[in-house]
Amino acid sequence: MNTKRVDPGRRHFLKTAMQAGACLAVPYVIPASALGANGGVPPSERIGLGAIGIGNRGRYVLGCFLREHDLRCIAVCDVRGDNRRRAKDQVDTINGDKDCAMYIDMQELLARDDIDAVLIATGPNWHATASVMAARAGKDVYCEKPCTKNIAQSLALAEVFRRTGRVFQAGTQRRSLPNFAYAVELAQTGKLGPLKTLHAHPGGLGTDMSGWLPAEPAPPQEQVDWDMYLGPAAWRPYTSKLMNAFHFEKGGGMVGGGCLEWGSHCVDLCQWANQADDTAPVEYEPVNGQLHARYANGVKLVMRNDGWLPLGSCPVRFEGETGWVETGDDAEFAASSESLLLRRGTKIPGYPADFHVRNFLDCIKTRALTRANADAACWAHVACHAANVALFLNRKVRYDPARHEFVGDEQANRLRGEALREPWRI
Amino acid sequence: MTTKKRYCSWCLVLTMAAASVAAVAQDLPAADAKERELMAVLQSDAPKGEKAITCKRLAVYGSERCVAVVAPLLADEELASWARIALEAIPGAAADAALRDAADKLQGRLLVGVINSIAVRRDRQAVDVLVRKLNDTDSSVASSAAVALGQVGGQPSAKALTPSLATAPAGVRSAVAEGCILCAERFLAQGETADAVALYDAVRRADVPNQRRLEAVRGAILARGSAGLPLLVEQLRSEDEEHLGIGLRTARELPGLDVTKALAAELAGLRSNRQPLLLLALADRDDSAVLPVVLKAAREGRKDLRITAINILPHLGDISCVPVLLEAATEDDAQIEQAATETLVRLAGKDVDADLAGRLSPSRGKLRRVLIDLAGQRQISQALPEVASSLNDADAGIRGSAVKTVAIIGGHEQAPDLVKLLLATRIASERTEIGKTLLTICGVHGSACLPHVRPLIQGRDPELHILGLRALAVIGGSEALTAVKSAMESAAPAVQDEAVRILSGWPNKWPNDSEAGKALLALAVSAENMPQHVLGLRGYLQYIRGNKQLSNDEKAAEVKDLLTHIKRLEEKRQVIAVLGETPSVLAFDLLTTLAEDSALVEEAYSAIVQIAAQDIQGLSKEQRRQALQTVVDKSGNDGTKQRARKALAGIP
Repeated sequence: MNTKRVDPGRRHFLKTAMQAGACLAVPYVIPASALGANGGVPPSERIGLGAIGIGNRGRYVLGCFLREHDLRCIAVCDVRGDNRRRAKDQVDTINGDKDCAMYIDMQELLARDDIDAVLIATGPNWHATASVMAARAGKDVYCEKPCTKNIAQSLALAEVFRRTGRVFQAGTQRRSLPNFAYAVELAQTGKLGPLKTLHAHPGGLGTDMSGWLPAEPAPPQEQVDWDMYLGPAAWRPYTSKLMNAFHFEKGGGMVGGGCLEWGSHCVDLCQWANQADDTAPVEYEPVNGQLHARYANGVKLVMRNDGWLPLGSCPVRFEGETGWVETGDDAEFAASSESLLLRRGTKIPGYPADFHVRNFLDCIKTRALTRANADAACWAHVACHAANVALFLNRKVRYDPARHEFVGDEQANRLRGEALREPWRI
Repeated sequence: MTTKKRYCSWCLVLTMAAASVAAVAQDLPAADAKERELMAVLQSDAPKGEKAITCKRLAVYGSERCVAVVAPLLADEELASWARIALEAIPGAAADAALRDAADKLQGRLLVGVINSIAVRRDRQAVDVLVRKLNDTDSSVASSAAVALGQVGGQPSAKALTPSLATAPAGVRSAVAEGCILCAERFLAQGETADAVALYDAVRRADVPNQRRLEAVRGAILARGSAGLPLLVEQLRSEDEEHLGIGLRTARELPGLDVTKALAAELAGLRSNRQPLLLLALADRDDSAVLPVVLKAAREGRKDLRITAINILPHLGDISCVPVLLEAATEDDAQIEQAATETLVRLAGKDVDADLAGRLSPSRGKLRRVLIDLAGQRQISQALPEVASSLNDADAGIRGSAVKTVAIIGGHEQAPDLVKLLLATRIASERTEIGKTLLTICGVHGSACLPHVRPLIQGRDPELHILGLRALAVIGGSEALTAVKSAMESAAPAVQDEAVRILSGWPNKWPNDSEAGKALLALAVSAENMPQHVLGLRGYLQYIRGNKQLSNDEKAAEVKDLLTHIKRLEEKRQVIAVLGETPSVLAFDLLTTLAEDSALVEEAYSAIVQIAAQDIQGLSKEQRRQALQTVVDKSGNDGTKQRARKALAGIP
């Protein structure tokens, strides 16, 4: 495990850049004319997109990409034949031709020089490995959540994107939605007073492991490429029961599930509110069906499944000394004072990914940090994985974000990472 | 065993395994015993699936003792990945030795896996093995060895990797470059800067994929510190977009005030379409040299650069930016004006509030309007006296801004001025805005506004009378209600209708106001005007529904009396809805009667289920069962039937 400390200069840069991202209406927006994005964009200047792992969620996000006029999707890749064909039809319909290429092996797609960026929606088992492979191949990456399977993958993801200089956007699109960004702005700008407690809906807190189920006859490779589907996950025989890519190895090598389902969104928003995109809580403890964590700055993070106001899915609540605000996917607010909500801005319910995709495409051009960049995603996932370790061990654990290790806790430390199946690496 | 059962069994096994790991992890003696038990599984004829999960559990609490049992599995194509899960996690020299040993025996993918695990563990003693594998004819093996050498780092690794940049086969060279870069990072972390720079330079000059060269360029700049500036500037000026991109990224990372100043100097010389990009990069640097550069760009130059700069200022600007932004906010260009205003709204600091408030008094024209708008958007309460004085400004634009801002920071003291303005103007749009502000103020400050609102309902202008009634509805209380009731006698039909409408909605805000109840009942019973009769009925039903002073029996009795005055199906449906929420014997009986009407039967059935599902005094279980069974037998709505069945099952 790499225990190298985060470079202070880098930390300062991240802090500055992410504070900038808090103000949704003007997140370092530059005029479209400066990006060549207003009006017609010549084909030669369009961003070449490849889409990897295009099931139901992937096709939704791909649709968001295809609505943008300054890109062209060139190829799709999936280990399942039915997914490949559906995604190709989706792309060809928009492009008005039959040219979209199809791949089973993402390495072939990544080898193409005309692809600048990739959408990765394979399911959690592949997310981090595929993202890192894409960055090494010189591609910018939009990756669905959960982005990593454990703490080691989270740290590696951030490190690789730093090293390669590629743009990364985690598919935590709530960072680009006005209600969540506004709640974060209230927290960051002191409108709630000094922050005391942040609440995140984890979407479940039960940890689990995937495993080795009895073998079934494997379908032809054209239909399902089982070896590529397993990818970095430890080998096991084919079984149709593991063919749901999202649930397979969900967020988990050693410890999966847990708070990752919504935590990768809601804990992420709490991290942002606490200006903690370059760190994670230092203590985690299961308490009466909840998970309580504490940051080094004293702010408490509560992951709980119930007790929420009816404001839609993925709710968060930020409490300060003088006020509080709560919001969710309905894009409605509840707050301690109506005056807090004066500048709440446009209401956009239903958690669309369009704005997040646009932010990614803009950052490809400016090379700026995205809303959900690799470092922010890294630390939000570290917080979720560390919480899962506490849930799995059913006891309090302490984590040192500077040394990237649990304090004096070998069992917890052994749960930080997991070997990838050969030949894959991060 | 069926497939489903087998699946469940496996899930159980896995759950037990997970629980076992957690339990044992808390108890070291137990862990010791468990390790022996699991080692026995690996040495037995257990199915591979069981051995696989055993490896996973050994990763959590296996010790060096189990390594000899796990290591043989590295040669098993199906179990090697599971074995490496354990071996990568178990601390100590035994696991390292086992992996080194396996590296000398295995080939192909299995060998790649073992080398990858050595890389994760950063085993310095493995350098010799890795150097040998660097020349393996299998390019995937050689590539993994190159990266592993980089992960291990140190002079021996660097010495092996550097010549391979030129000599390795094309398919391996990218990995060799990656290994060099990783090695350079290790040098840098240990303060061995010169070695790091040498490696980065070697990669950026080598015939390797462009992405590796870009990474080396970034590393070479950062490793050199300020001395890396010329190389950074070279990237920013490059014709190659990828080099520009890595330059923009690195411009954010290379620390130092001198670097900021140098980049700022470079800004003016860059081609115009790159200036906003560099300005954004500069903005992420956050040192004292940045703000003057951004401020200058906000003040003068090309429009897109100005807007970019203005949009940056909320994040790093301070009070010193106010004059420039105010100037921009009063320009004629709509985009510049909007960007500057939004930035002024977001610029942080109470000193900014005080500055803006202080500028209000001497201001005139557009500047005054902008300042008043900002006082509202920023909620600058100390600006209220000046804002209030602008309510009577001769300039309609300033007046309009003042009206909007008073809605945000004003108090009941501004109500008289607003009323005077209303009485003085005939312009519809102005009346609408003033009316909105007055309603907002009345909503926040309540009865304190009542005396000020009275002139509106005392005048002869129906439009203002209606506005006054709406304000009273917001204020609430007996005096307000009396005024609304008396307006129902108004000679002006529009005023009368509005008064009835307001009264019918009164229980939604003031549900326990019995005076409103009486007035609504009177309307429901005796109004000759049909719309007023309907509004009275509906309002009275809402009154009954929300009144906490009434018991369920009393509510049902009130509804029973009201029913004799109801002719239309729409209101009968509302009655059914209220009865469904009023669990009592009388409500049950009324619903049973209403269910005899074929036009109402489904709504009545639904409400009956709602009541019969509850244990209500005076209503026997048998009566409840019969009613629910009737619904099950006769309802045409599947959802209602389902609810009835569920309720039936719930009766003990």
